[in-house]
Amino acid sequence: MKLYIFLFIIATSLVSCKKDKNNFQATPYLLEIPSHFPDMLIPQDNPMTAEGVELGRFLFYEKRLSGDNTMNCATCHVPNGAFSDPNVYSTGIDGIEGTRHSMALVNLGWEDFFFWDGRASSLEKQILEPVPNPIEMHQSWKATAAKLNLDITYRNRFFRAFGEEGIDSIKVAKAIAQFVRTMISGESKFDVMYKYENSLALNTNEQTIFQSISNEEWAGYDLFKSLNGADCFHCHNGPLMRVKKFSNNGLVASAINDLGRASVTNNANDNYKFKVPTLRNIELSAPYMHDGRFANLDEVIEFYSSGIHMSPTIDPLIEFGSQGGVQLDASEKLLLKKFLLTLTDYNFINNPKFSDPN
Amino acid sequence: MNRLLILIFLAFTFFSCKKKENPIPQVDNYLNLTVQPKFGSNNLFLDSIYTSPEGYKVKFTVLKFYITQLKNGSSTLTDATIFDFRENGLLAFRKIGDPTKFSALQGFIGVDGTLNHLDPSAFPNESPLNISNAGTMHWGWNTGYIFFSIEGKVDTIPDGNNSLDHSFSFHIGTDSYLSDFSFSNLSWQNPSANEFILPFKLDLLSFLQNPSQPIDLKTDFLTHSGAGQEALSEIVVQNFKQAFQPN
Repeated sequence: MKLYIFLFIIATSLVSCKKDKNNFQATPYLLEIPSHFPDMLIPQDNPMTAEGVELGRFLFYEKRLSGDNTMNCATCHVPNGAFSDPNVYSTGIDGIEGTRHSMALVNLGWEDFFFWDGRASSLEKQILEPVPNPIEMHQSWKATAAKLNLDITYRNRFFRAFGEEGIDSIKVAKAIAQFVRTMISGESKFDVMYKYENSLALNTNEQTIFQSISNEEWAGYDLFKSLNGADCFHCHNGPLMRVKKFSNNGLVASAINDLGRASVTNNANDNYKFKVPTLRNIELSAPYMHDGRFANLDEVIEFYSSGIHMSPTIDPLIEFGSQGGVQLDASEKLLLKKFLLTLTDYNFINNPKFSDPN
Repeated sequence: MNRLLILIFLAFTFFSCKKKENPIPQVDNYLNLTVQPKFGSNNLFLDSIYTSPEGYKVKFTVLKFYITQLKNGSSTLTDATIFDFRENGLLAFRKIGDPTKFSALQGFIGVDGTLNHLDPSAFPNESPLNISNAGTMHWGWNTGYIFFSIEGKVDTIPDGNNSLDHSFSFHIGTDSYLSDFSFSNLSWQNPSANEFILPFKLDLLSFLQNPSQPIDLKTDFLTHSGAGQEALSEIVVQNFKQAFQPN
């Protein structure tokens, strides 16, 4: 009998000595990836959870992230502007303008580098920059965390998202990154055209959209892809409508002589190269180029048609650069524009999951 | 009864604590296929300036190509790999394998027809054919891959300055330009235990100056394998094949 008691005590001790562990488990979030897209690779240290995405959405629209509580992410990434800024440059809380146009937020889960010069190698790292930036939200992360900590709702949201107490910059960045990764656009007319030309099955809704695609839109797509037409496909390719590269596309250097990628690499071969942006929702993300120099799509098309400026680092794939551009006539410009408008994804823009939750 | 229980308990404890025998560790051999870009006898570096056979200053900015169905008879070394000099340096691929099985190799420069027209988003995430990894090497306009891509700048204008103001790009794709290769008597180098290297070279001087069909960058500077570009495309394919050899 003594032996049984002895064994019982040992067993009880072993169990009771087990380290206390928080059993809270966040709910895995299943991304809705369009069938014609590649998988999105999620960082192992920031898995997608429903609680994380929800928190990220609140933080995206949270003005307490700025020094004077007037700015949030959506101030410079306006939903109706394809989550970019309709202004040429964004203005921070101290009234200071930036020097590059705010980039559209779409399908960022597939990107490997961020900002026009690619200086951030992950979405989380990108998100860490605007808050303390003195010409943007101008607030230290310490102050930001302190503000959020005063709000019990946020304390609870952070706990649910990360399974532990505490708020810091890393968790804010991770939560916003999770939310931004849900911002997937793959339901435009172009998507149906892409699937059709790649012999991928169309669902019933897509078949209906397919019937609505006009001859002009198809002709514009042909021009877009044509080597002797608009020749756009070298840089705007695949379901994501971009390639992963930095390119000097033939712009005349801006007044401030923004060197682009070279400001990160200090390599003169990268002078005036900027990240190739996606063309998704391009209709809504004006103004265009890294410095917002073109107010509308007509100006962009005219630039590629006749405004190319040759320079030592111009992309070799700007093949008609020495002629000033691809030399489209008026009807071709119109067709090309018609195609560019097919890239607008209204389901994305109007998705209530991406709107201000407050 | 108590003693019996104690004995059972001790016996159980004793056997459960028995040290496990260590199995003989499995040692894998790693096979590395490398490609050294060259310009004649010199190693080639991207963005560095060389002199073409015609005397033009030339620099190369992009050098990428696919190899698919790399095998020796029925032994497959890899289904597909991409060489991207800027991103990955000399390494075309690295995988576990048995070098004795690959003293000869056959394969394609480019993406063979069984893979070339599949949905590029459907390949496994780690596949070089997945659209995320293919990047600029997949064409939307003909739904297939660019088999190899050579881009750069050249100074073909005798204006006295050294500005490399003329671009060239050779983009070869479409099934008709797939080329095969076959090498025998290959010797894997063994620089360290379990590491094996099979070195190839890609000589871009040879690519340009193939005696029977040289490529003059002043006039032969652009092909996307499209209609009207067949003659140059064919030369580019043949010259590339000649320039790619065991090192």
